[in-house]
Amino acid sequence: MRLALRIGRRIGIFAISLVGASLLIFMITKALPGDVAQVLLGIDATPEAVAKLRAELGLDRPLWVQYASWVGGMLVGDFGVSHVFPGQSVLSLIGPRLAVTLWLVGISMVLTLLIALPAGMVAALKRRSWQGVAVSSAAQVGMAIPVFWGGIIAVVVFAVWLRWLPANGYVPLTQDPVQWARHLVLPCLTLAGVQAAVLIRYVRSAFVEVLNEDYYRTARSVGWTPMRALWRHGVRNAAISLVTVLGLQVGSVLVGAIVVESVFALPGLGSLLLTAVNQRDLLVVQGTVMLLVLTVLGISALVDFSYLLIDPRQRTGDRA
Amino acid sequence: MTQPAPSTRPLSRLSRRLVAVLSALAMLMMVGCTTAGTPSEPPGHTLTIGATSEPDSMDAWHNAAAAIPQVVLYNVYETLVKVDADGKLKALLAQAWELSPDGLTYTFHLNPAAKFASGAPVDAAAVVANIERLKSDSNLVASLQAQASVMDSATAVDTHVVQIKLVHPSIMWLYNMSSTLGMMLDPSFTGDVATTTAGSGPYALKSQSKGQSVVLAPNTNYWGTPARFSEVTFRYYTDANAMNASMLSGDLDVISNLQAPDALSQFSDTSRFTTISGTTNGEVVLGLNHKTKALAKLEVRRALTMAIDRQQLLNTVWNGQGTLIGSMSVPTDPWYEDLTGTNPYNPDQARALLKEAGYAQGLTLRLRVPTFPYAQKSAQFVASALRDVGVTVKVEELDFTRWLKEVYGDGDYDMTIVAHVEARDLGNFALPNYYWHYGDPKFAALYNAADQAKTEAESITLMKEALRYLADDAAAIWLFALPNLVIAKSTITGLPKNATTLSFDLSTIAGG
Amino acid sequence: MKRFQLVVGLVLVGLVVASAIVSLFWTPFDPIQVDGANRLRPPGWPHLLGTDGFGIDIVSQLLVGARATLLVGIVSVGVSAVVGVPLGMVAGQLGGWLDEVVMRAADIVYAFPALILAMLFASVWGASTVTAMAAIGISTIPAFARVSRAGALQVVASDFVLAARVSGTSRLGIAVRHVGPNIAPVVGVQASVVFALAILAEAALSYLGLGTPRSVPTWGNMLRQAQDQLFTAPLQSVWPGLAIALAVLGFNLLGDGLRDYLDPRLREVQ
Repeated sequence: MRLALRIGRRIGIFAISLVGASLLIFMITKALPGDVAQVLLGIDATPEAVAKLRAELGLDRPLWVQYASWVGGMLVGDFGVSHVFPGQSVLSLIGPRLAVTLWLVGISMVLTLLIALPAGMVAALKRRSWQGVAVSSAAQVGMAIPVFWGGIIAVVVFAVWLRWLPANGYVPLTQDPVQWARHLVLPCLTLAGVQAAVLIRYVRSAFVEVLNEDYYRTARSVGWTPMRALWRHGVRNAAISLVTVLGLQVGSVLVGAIVVESVFALPGLGSLLLTAVNQRDLLVVQGTVMLLVLTVLGISALVDFSYLLIDPRQRTGDRA
Repeated sequence: MTQPAPSTRPLSRLSRRLVAVLSALAMLMMVGCTTAGTPSEPPGHTLTIGATSEPDSMDAWHNAAAAIPQVVLYNVYETLVKVDADGKLKALLAQAWELSPDGLTYTFHLNPAAKFASGAPVDAAAVVANIERLKSDSNLVASLQAQASVMDSATAVDTHVVQIKLVHPSIMWLYNMSSTLGMMLDPSFTGDVATTTAGSGPYALKSQSKGQSVVLAPNTNYWGTPARFSEVTFRYYTDANAMNASMLSGDLDVISNLQAPDALSQFSDTSRFTTISGTTNGEVVLGLNHKTKALAKLEVRRALTMAIDRQQLLNTVWNGQGTLIGSMSVPTDPWYEDLTGTNPYNPDQARALLKEAGYAQGLTLRLRVPTFPYAQKSAQFVASALRDVGVTVKVEELDFTRWLKEVYGDGDYDMTIVAHVEARDLGNFALPNYYWHYGDPKFAALYNAADQAKTEAESITLMKEALRYLADDAAAIWLFALPNLVIAKSTITGLPKNATTLSFDLSTIAGG
Repeated sequence: MKRFQLVVGLVLVGLVVASAIVSLFWTPFDPIQVDGANRLRPPGWPHLLGTDGFGIDIVSQLLVGARATLLVGIVSVGVSAVVGVPLGMVAGQLGGWLDEVVMRAADIVYAFPALILAMLFASVWGASTVTAMAAIGISTIPAFARVSRAGALQVVASDFVLAARVSGTSRLGIAVRHVGPNIAPVVGVQASVVFALAILAEAALSYLGLGTPRSVPTWGNMLRQAQDQLFTAPLQSVWPGLAIALAVLGFNLLGDGLRDYLDPRLREVQ
């Protein structure tokens, strides 16, 4: 019963956060100096055309009505219509681009874990020898490198000098799986490299904690190798802090994806957002930002739910 | 959506391994996803062209973006006459044409073979229908509307002979008819020209994916020399360097216009690349707002011109690629003459002129530029050069949409920099409401006389005079004309040297 | 080892600060004067690291760029701390519904990473240094609010605060005398980390063309301009990239070092 109550409370918080975030986005875009319709139509527009568009966009209605119709529309999957891409609904613009971003983010997250977990374990186990220091230092340096800079260097080395992989662009998976994979290698590795640098530190701390636990010492004392002991007992126990960190990192992964999409000219959500920002296609900006924020809030809620599943103690005790 | 032909280079061992890893990951992640379709091998050669400015739609009649005619002009929609790489008019849909002695009536003899992609003939009735459509469409782009208003009426004299009467003689009109104004749309077409095409050219729109590419496929009904490519893709980049990287790694066949001339030396390997350096119609103009008190004074305008070493600017900003021009005209114009010696670089005289005009204590001007590489870089050079003669320049960068509104629309600026890419566009200086607010009556008189001259020779003489007047009056500061820097794989041939029109004309290109 | 982090961090941050201060009085060459005849000089004398595409001395630009970097960092971290720390303290000390409201609001703002907020701002007001600083500052408020709240909770529960309350000290008095000084170290550590984030965010915004106007020499802008010469003069891109990386490394190490130095209990944990 308590569990259901807690889950219900968390869902409530999630809903309130969504309302708050949508209000914030709406208010910021409403602060546009000048007339949105005039900005959209440009300078040659007649006053009648501007008035017509204002009516079409519903800009002549009270603010709260505009907000309600925007949110109401989104609830039924209607994000409005783009003005820079004439006749296209915001959702039809987001749809195909979302796939690109999801692939990029998804594969990068998997690669991040594949890099950071072993590296972080080494850093923890060998923290007093040169290997551990080397891993920690590399992570420290990796965190300091701007992601776009890493991407540019990757393009120069692997696409231009060695010509192993395409420099940029995207091929849908359904069209040509080999080309799809080739086009995603550099962007995913770039994004994963930067994210892994951040994650390694947390993995290391989580495992260092485990090393001080009794069950680890017991396992070691019965003759298990450090790696085996850490793997069997540590991973599960470090999982909670890792899930937290992954949840916290969602925002930075999405931001990284936006920058990486720009470096590699990938037609994802980030490049859509950048185009929309430069063209002042406000409904597209609103819709895309809302989607990104929804992702961050949603994952953070999922992370909280997963605590309850990973760690039975959480079900009864109150988290600080 | 198409992609460049798969590379013939074998995958290196490492990249094959990476592909294997990623494919395995993909398989894991694809659980629950269904994939449809198999890679298709297109027959014949394809051509992939990199460009930096993406069209919002295919409707050139209601959208002034130059990126639309780049794709559709001549390739999809044909005109009665076209402009060749030397800037000369030649036959296209019309085999021949003549002008009446009073300069008011043009008679065009259409090619009887010409037909639209639908199979309908491009006959006199179709031309008349097009002209009536232009004249009656009140939502036409403003510049096209002005060009169309020169026409009084069009009549079909015969199935293949059409006569067009003008309101007043106009040399410019025929040139306009070789560009967007003259694009012939199939009169039987009822669809949306923003998303479908219905022209008589060798290609038709296949698909457009926003933010990425426009794909053309051959018009199987084409009446002339058939298309050489089974598919032509214009791929759009927001970043010029990303485009260069794509070219270097072999994803592109052609870069339509290099936007980072410093990168030229990357393509110096002649076994892989061909570099073409020609001219365009793009005059990079440092526009002066004649409503700004200081800039209304001739001495100040001359002083500013003299303060800028334009050769050095071209070297710094565009790696020396491009042409210095002294007025609103480029070398491929029939009335071009070298006016770069007018108000030559002389910072001492510039300081003296400023003092004479009463700005010995200095002068502060706002330079508001759109975020285009040539404009941003030129702005930095100009600000530094003017600082040398005691003029403080406040540089502001605006995205193009905002620039169009605030600078072009509201005239809220002192100085700005933008390339005027339309051909033969000096007439803008005659418009008092144009964003420069120049509209000098003497210039307007000269220009109108030149446009309405009865013979081309007379017109050219008068145009030259008008251009000299502009230069002398320092109506604006002409920094340079953008070069046509085309990079292509060495296997591609037939690329035109000069970009004399807005079109990226595919008709002469071969290879792949 | 841990002292080593602090020292390296201090040295790197010191270098950035020193560069910024020196550039106020002196640079080897004019950092904005275009010199077309001297463009793309390789490293040597008198241009130690060469010149860029405008013929401007790179060392001079790097020095002046440090100023912009510090400015963005100080303003955004300042905004963030000035708003976030009091909010966190109040929430932690008073608890109850106020705490709930502040923390929920912090969660919402936390869902807007700096870059996304900056893009939202840029779509409305256009891109500039101010929108970049505002976005970075606002998006990092939750970080300050959270650490201050956690610190305040700890302090409020401690014996000496209980004693102070018994002796009749007001809540404000407790905040000023006890909570403030006790959370100062954590806030300092957080400031250092956020500073590093701000430098990276500003560079990314400049790269996307949403930051400081191009003509102002910042490290992000230098990198963006150097991209034109990426293949012909790759060193152009190395220097500003290196400056950004070293500054970020410096602030990160300083943060880590400070944390270990101030709170030995955390040494092995994070």
